[in-house]
Amino acid sequence: MNVKSKDRLKNFSLNLIALILIIFIVGPLLWVAVASIQGESELLEKPQRIIPRNPTLENYNYVFTGEIPTTTEVKGQHIRSRISQEARLIPQALKNSFIVATSVMVINVVLGTLGAYTFSRLHFRGKVATFNFFLGSRLIPVIAVAIPYYVIIQTMGLLDTYPSLILVYLALTLPFTIWFLTLYFNGIPEDFEDAALIDGCSRFQALARVVLPMALPGLVAAAAFAFMTSYNEFLFARFLTQSIATHTGPVIISSIAGNPDASYTLISVAMTLGLIPPLILALALRRWLTEGLSTSITFR
Amino acid sequence: MTQQPAATKPKHNWSYISHKIYPYLSILPVAVVIALFAIYPIIHAVRMSFYQYLLTRPNVHPFVGLGNFINVVTSYYFKESIQITGIYTIATVTGVILYGLGVALLMNTKIRLSTPLKIVILLPWALPAVVSGLLWKWILNADFGILNGILYALGLIDNYIPFLADPTLAKISLIMAHIWKEGPLVAIFFLAGLQLIPDELYEAAKIDGGSGWKTFRHVTLPLLRPVFLVVIVYETMTAILTFDTIYVMTGGGPANSTALISWFAYAEIFKSLNLGNGIALAIIIALITLVLIILYLRVLRTEESTVSG
Repeated sequence: MNVKSKDRLKNFSLNLIALILIIFIVGPLLWVAVASIQGESELLEKPQRIIPRNPTLENYNYVFTGEIPTTTEVKGQHIRSRISQEARLIPQALKNSFIVATSVMVINVVLGTLGAYTFSRLHFRGKVATFNFFLGSRLIPVIAVAIPYYVIIQTMGLLDTYPSLILVYLALTLPFTIWFLTLYFNGIPEDFEDAALIDGCSRFQALARVVLPMALPGLVAAAAFAFMTSYNEFLFARFLTQSIATHTGPVIISSIAGNPDASYTLISVAMTLGLIPPLILALALRRWLTEGLSTSITFR
Repeated sequence: MTQQPAATKPKHNWSYISHKIYPYLSILPVAVVIALFAIYPIIHAVRMSFYQYLLTRPNVHPFVGLGNFINVVTSYYFKESIQITGIYTIATVTGVILYGLGVALLMNTKIRLSTPLKIVILLPWALPAVVSGLLWKWILNADFGILNGILYALGLIDNYIPFLADPTLAKISLIMAHIWKEGPLVAIFFLAGLQLIPDELYEAAKIDGGSGWKTFRHVTLPLLRPVFLVVIVYETMTAILTFDTIYVMTGGGPANSTALISWFAYAEIFKSLNLGNGIALAIIIALITLVLIILYLRVLRTEESTVSG
């Protein structure tokens, strides 16, 4: 009985710690979502309300249609300066992020699969050196090469275009994709391809028809990593993009929030909208991402 | 029938050539992209570090030798920002390890809340660092931050605390935001390590009469050693190069109290518009991280390598 109640106490305290951790992890995300559906004046009350008195979608409506929220009215006066015009750029910026990140993701999967399969199965001169070069390239701190990157992009005439970001993000993500997929292919037995090769398939055919279906979980994880890295990147996006034609989500969000006159509810809306795509991805692909991250640390 | 050898010979030749060049072709596109953004930029950066490049005087680039390096090492900020970087790195690396290991141990138990914890743990990791930094800046705001609101409502404080306006509190806030964002990855790494430990080892330890702490100390920790090493070196690099979070949360302030050495590389280039100084400082930082990377590769080399020639 004593042992049992001791176990119960232990179980209870562990669950309590887990609950506190869950609140610590999710709390900030929930708060920004709650703030985004409050009125500006309500949000500035002291102390704030965790449950909004008058939840409203007017802030979102402003971002998408330009209709000024009535909640910014204080004693009949609009606090005009608290309306952040920039917030209206958010949908376009997220669209830019999405286009760039999706392109990087698709190219990563195609080129990464081709390259990683070669590193995993074939033998050629300079293989180990090339592989180490790929990996080593990611160990340069980005700030050291930021200016040369700018010069390259300028020389190619690509400033303020999608391809500029896509190229830079490919250089940032491909080494990881190659390394990760090489690991993954190493874990798939060669017997099946050998059979296909004996039947007269080319290397490429063996890869496409036999190996790819088996490597699907690894491919999904690699694709998601490439997407997230590109979607979340800030430093290069900040100085390679010059107009809303290419400004990405993080650039616009930081710019809105950096404006001292910014409307706090609209900052919350911008942040909430920016959060949604990676959060959906993280929840939907949770098992694959966890497995992928685990793979990357447990076998090398 | 007699024509058959003639027909297959060129085909055989072609397949032989394609067999030989296929490996090179398959890695060529990747090699081109990576080489373009690795080899040239490094040469260009090293070259620039020996010249004076002021954006305010765009047409004059005198050779200054090690002048830029001397400028940054003797600058007003160098010593202090190295100290701040050291404090920040030690605090965040220790923090993410304790947090990550704790979360991993909880996720590895059979308690009811371990599954919900596994579901939410990846969320902070998935966000843009810009957004997570703003999230915390927002929560810690001195006028309407929810943390102040909660503390006030609970009667713990009489006045709202300006967390990000005080040098010490700003550092602590930044470290907490860093742990929130980076901890999840470490937790997943530790969980992967924990799941590789066979149950029999724990059972054996139990039969030998080991207490929970003794088992942890003598069975779990030693077996997690490879994970520890990778996490320490990776997180050290992440901490030294932290940029996005500081940019949005504190801008290096108040009074440069949260300005890491990498922040000044950015400030030299984009604020002082002194490209030569900025790149020289970035190269110094690169060399510091290179030392850590060599350590990292040594650690990895002790285990099986991914490709063999």
